[in-house]
Amino acid sequence: MGMWLRDIKRRSNLQDAIVNKSIISLQAKNMIKEVVNVKNKGKKHYMAVEFEPSTELTGGAWYDDDGNLHVEFINIVKKCCLQKIKQLKVATLETVLQLFKTSGVFKADLKEHHFEEILGALVLDNEVMEVKSNGMGEFGAIPEGKVCYKAFDKQRVGAAAEPRIGAMASMPCGVCPRIRSCTPDGVVSPSTCVYFQKWLEF
Amino acid sequence: MVSQHGILYAVHLITNQFGNLVAKVCECLLRNGALTLQAIVRRTELSPAKVRNCLLVLIQHNCAQAFILEESVSGEDAGEPGKALTQYIALFVNILHRVRFSKFMDVVSKELGGSCGELFRGLLEHGRLTVKQIVDRAGANAKESTNTVQEDLGKLVMAHYVECCPAPEPLVPPPDADTKKRAKSSKVMVEPLTLEQRVMAVAMPSAMRRFSFVPNADQVADDQQNVNQPPSKDVGEKRKLHDLESDTALEEEVECNWRANFEELLRRLRHKTCVDTIKVRFDDAAATVLSAMLEASRAEEDKVKTANSVPLSLNTIYEEVVKNEKNHSMTFDHVRTCLEELSCPPTFVKTDDESYSIDFTKITEAAQSEEIESIVLKRFGETAYKIFRLLFRAGCLMETDKIADKIFAEKKETSKTLFKMWQDGYLLMEKLVVGGTTTGPSYGGSSYLLWKVNKRLLRETVLDEMFHAALNLNLRLAHEIDQNKEVLNLPPDKREGPDKQKFDRLRNVRLLIHSSLMKLDDAIMLFHDF
Repeated sequence: MGMWLRDIKRRSNLQDAIVNKSIISLQAKNMIKEVVNVKNKGKKHYMAVEFEPSTELTGGAWYDDDGNLHVEFINIVKKCCLQKIKQLKVATLETVLQLFKTSGVFKADLKEHHFEEILGALVLDNEVMEVKSNGMGEFGAIPEGKVCYKAFDKQRVGAAAEPRIGAMASMPCGVCPRIRSCTPDGVVSPSTCVYFQKWLEF
Repeated sequence: MVSQHGILYAVHLITNQFGNLVAKVCECLLRNGALTLQAIVRRTELSPAKVRNCLLVLIQHNCAQAFILEESVSGEDAGEPGKALTQYIALFVNILHRVRFSKFMDVVSKELGGSCGELFRGLLEHGRLTVKQIVDRAGANAKESTNTVQEDLGKLVMAHYVECCPAPEPLVPPPDADTKKRAKSSKVMVEPLTLEQRVMAVAMPSAMRRFSFVPNADQVADDQQNVNQPPSKDVGEKRKLHDLESDTALEEEVECNWRANFEELLRRLRHKTCVDTIKVRFDDAAATVLSAMLEASRAEEDKVKTANSVPLSLNTIYEEVVKNEKNHSMTFDHVRTCLEELSCPPTFVKTDDESYSIDFTKITEAAQSEEIESIVLKRFGETAYKIFRLLFRAGCLMETDKIADKIFAEKKETSKTLFKMWQDGYLLMEKLVVGGTTTGPSYGGSSYLLWKVNKRLLRETVLDEMFHAALNLNLRLAHEIDQNKEVLNLPPDKREGPDKQKFDRLRNVRLLIHSSLMKLDDAIMLFHDF
């Protein structure tokens, strides 16, 4: 876990200037290194160069060395998982994990919980459905009650390319950030609303 | 309890159709619940005659109902001790139905044809009519014969699109008697009925009486009058009891007013929404199978918000599917495959021992979730959309950092988005202080913010926003018409150049706002009535 700079100062009972100078000197001699705390970037942590920081500090596989979320890498993993699920039509976590282990696509050491997080994110993106197998039809090969993932079939005839926009969302009031201040005779009102004005421009 | 914007919207609808006075009385009832005539007079500061006329208009158009509470009178309206006073209650649901008349007309005309549709239009326009009034109206408009009109009315009553009006002033028992009776028979916690529901439950005639139409009732009325003539030679002889009873029944038949049965129409619209939801999520074949199941089980449905349809066998479903000429090419196996797809999680169709039943609750909830997610995505963005889906599915409190980890978003952005959604009432927030003392927030301890979606409160929030949006659309349309009234008053041949442009723009504005209102009303039904 390393040690927080403030903890170092408190425990050593040395003056701030001396501690700071010592830290710089040790870093220059390549004896200690600074590690970014993903949960609180303001807190500087230091540790000996021989040690590897724990995932609690670094954030794990999804964060880069600067402690920022590795969005590109995450998107690539998501895309690959989605492709596999679409190929299989229905897949369990174990199936997806096995496929990536055998293919060796990713150099990073991704464990089962990493893929579980990715599949969870795909569910939240509304790209796949998380369902429990009922052992029938397309779930025939999966034991009943097992959690599995099914891709939405956006290729089928009649399927919309984009998610359907609801009734409320297709009009200005539905997406207005000021709806709570809007009254018939107020400063913000349907008669004076600029969003309505734009919407009714023909 | 009707929300604030629900009341404003309902009052606006009544104002547009019946004027300010009637709207004032209606608003008084919506805001204060059931009131006596004297109480309405006092609160509206209108004369008793005006209030009475307004109430008559509301009752005629099924927007209010009179009733008598079977309990002692006390407080400000105390008259003679123990005397029951007539009270009036606004029927919010029926007021909302007034924007749905075109949808109701569509349902009736498609199933029963143009002449039934025309007759039905009259009932919608006038609220309630006797058979004689219906016949006279049809004769004046389309020169229909009495027999044809009565035949059409019979078809409408058979299909349950038209019903006998409720009792004018039913006696409503106190809620204790009701609750005890229901608690005994039901072991499941049941939400208590609102006063409006209790009044309508008592006022409604029995199912047999409600949909019992006797053609040529006016002929019977004439016969009845003849019977009531002073007897010529049988003076002194008592009339037999069964004659008296049948006379009373005939009187009731003759005096019955008929009105549109909104319950049945809502049920049809609910079915239509379910089919549309399935069509979007699956395909046309699945929608066809669902439609057939709805058709086959329709007769057994006894209320709008039924949770499940009656179980049907595969053979029954297949027979219903191929009844329609367009579906003759669907094979038995294809129907079975569709049912298996619909039975897969999320289970829109439940299977039990070779029988299938529709889970209306699941389909409705799926459609509601889709609507709310659409609002969240457009209003707050993609991060909010993922947060919302996470918390909606979790159904429990979740800490900010954990949410950020699950959706793969930066913590700062996640925090900002959570606050925005909380301010608009889409999320609940709780602060948890761990460690430290109770005197200070972080005296040696840490505080965490926990977030949750409360589904019931969220549906109420969204519904209120929908009422607000519907009201805004109406007000904007009125504003646009008001701004361009000179152009509207110009004869068509005088509209040139900028005036023609304004006129064309106004026409497009009207079309857009009307279609948005219809679409929004579908969403209001989804959250309020289904």
